[in-house]
Amino acid sequence: MLSVREVTTAYQGLVAISSVSIEVTKGEIVCVAGANGAGKSTLLKSIAGAERPRSGTVTFDGSRIDGLAPHLVTARGIAYVPENRRLFPRLSVRDNLRLGSYLYRGQTDREGPLDLVFKLFPRLQERLEQRAETLSGGEQQMLAIGRALMTRPRLLMLDEPSQGIMPKLVDEIFAAVKRIRDTGMTVLIVEQRMAECLEIADRAYILQTGRVLIAGPSAEIRVNQDVRKAYLGL
Amino acid sequence: MTAETIIQSLASGLLMGLLYGLIAVGLALIFGLMDVVNFAHGEFLMIAMYATFFLFAYVSIDPLLAAPLVAAGLFVFGALVYLFVVRFAVRAKANAGMVQIFSTFGLAIVMRGLAQFFFTPDYRSIAHSWLGGKTISVAGIFLPEPQLVGALVAIAAFIGLYFFIHRTDFGRALEATREDAGAVALVGIDKNRVFALGWGLGAGLVGLAGAIMAVFFYIYPDVGASFALIAYVTVALGGFGSVFGAFAGGIIVGLVEATTAMILPPSLKSVGVYAVYLLVVFIRPRGLFGSM
Repeated sequence: MLSVREVTTAYQGLVAISSVSIEVTKGEIVCVAGANGAGKSTLLKSIAGAERPRSGTVTFDGSRIDGLAPHLVTARGIAYVPENRRLFPRLSVRDNLRLGSYLYRGQTDREGPLDLVFKLFPRLQERLEQRAETLSGGEQQMLAIGRALMTRPRLLMLDEPSQGIMPKLVDEIFAAVKRIRDTGMTVLIVEQRMAECLEIADRAYILQTGRVLIAGPSAEIRVNQDVRKAYLGL
Repeated sequence: MTAETIIQSLASGLLMGLLYGLIAVGLALIFGLMDVVNFAHGEFLMIAMYATFFLFAYVSIDPLLAAPLVAAGLFVFGALVYLFVVRFAVRAKANAGMVQIFSTFGLAIVMRGLAQFFFTPDYRSIAHSWLGGKTISVAGIFLPEPQLVGALVAIAAFIGLYFFIHRTDFGRALEATREDAGAVALVGIDKNRVFALGWGLGAGLVGLAGAIMAVFFYIYPDVGASFALIAYVTVALGGFGSVFGAFAGGIIVGLVEATTAMILPPSLKSVGVYAVYLLVVFIRPRGLFGSM
């Protein structure tokens, strides 16, 4: 479904990821893990069109999307929830969700995914009229995922959804990611919390200083001795 | 000074103030949307007045009928200014603030120069329009019809703008872009289209004001300058970027101007406005309704 081949992306001459290749197949949860600065976020930005790769290709459902403007990538069916969530802070929860379905304006069932969003995150339904900025960190993450789901993506990309969130809500969000996959969606998730991420993912890639260090099914990576020592603290 | 003259004076101040609000709102809209001050705003007003004049002089379209046409024309013009000038100016890698200022400032000078060349510096006016020179008497107060219609158009435009921003998808996209232009792509919105729309809308609104003002002001290449100055004060007074603030700011400016004219000699009629502006800047630098 998504195929990233030999992508190199640099900021002002500084190479953030170098010749990274990953594959995501339909219906999978794929986890990209690694330490801070390993290039995880850059990888997602290069897919989402927020950064233009210096070389390499990104193919989604058979067509090249590298170099495409970010709003066109969204229109192709890739929803991206960036690290800092980028909600519209002074707009209400309702308006944030409604903006998510902007591409479907004028259609009668434009709010179709709303049922799923409320089922996953009932708190959002209780806070519809609140401004997004008044939500807690966890609720904001839920809203960011909810807004992304409103764009009816085939691939959902999450950048560190657990960041700055209290532990109880982290579990809730990871559980939601699994349920999202169960609806037939594909999920690419970037995380620093490797243990939790490996638990829900089918396959994983570990990035180190901009390169893919290890790739494979999560079950294998979980028992890999090097990974256990270096990342899982076991 | 009788109570009647005071009311008369405040009433015409209010009418003029509403028109000031209409002139200023486009400036506020664009600033709120992308933090760019359009220094050619007065020249947008100027070409709207000329467009109205020529439609009247050569095609005999009354300014009242020409207003929607002029507004639509200015909408297109504003969108083109964004697409061909401002879009490149905001991309500047260094000195972005200066580049933005001088791009619209330069545009203003070019527009004035072209107007002087093609339209000549002569003062023009529209004679015998439907509204020109007529007054209406309401409860003993005489109101000039062009100003009255201008005020009504301004109110209608503000109501329309309110519903556009709060009830339509494009309005919501405008609000979202104001909040975080870098994030709208996440929901599939092209920020450049929203910016172009914002410039179109801002120019269209000042076009509407220009069409009505053409009825009772002289039209010449520099006409925009004095009104633009008032528009900057209005926007700063109301709170930079706030659409409602521009409306309220316009009314305040109109009323203060009328009050000053009652107390001070006519040549000092602007003094009050700038004094109030300075006072607001000292006490509340973000403006009366600004939220920043």
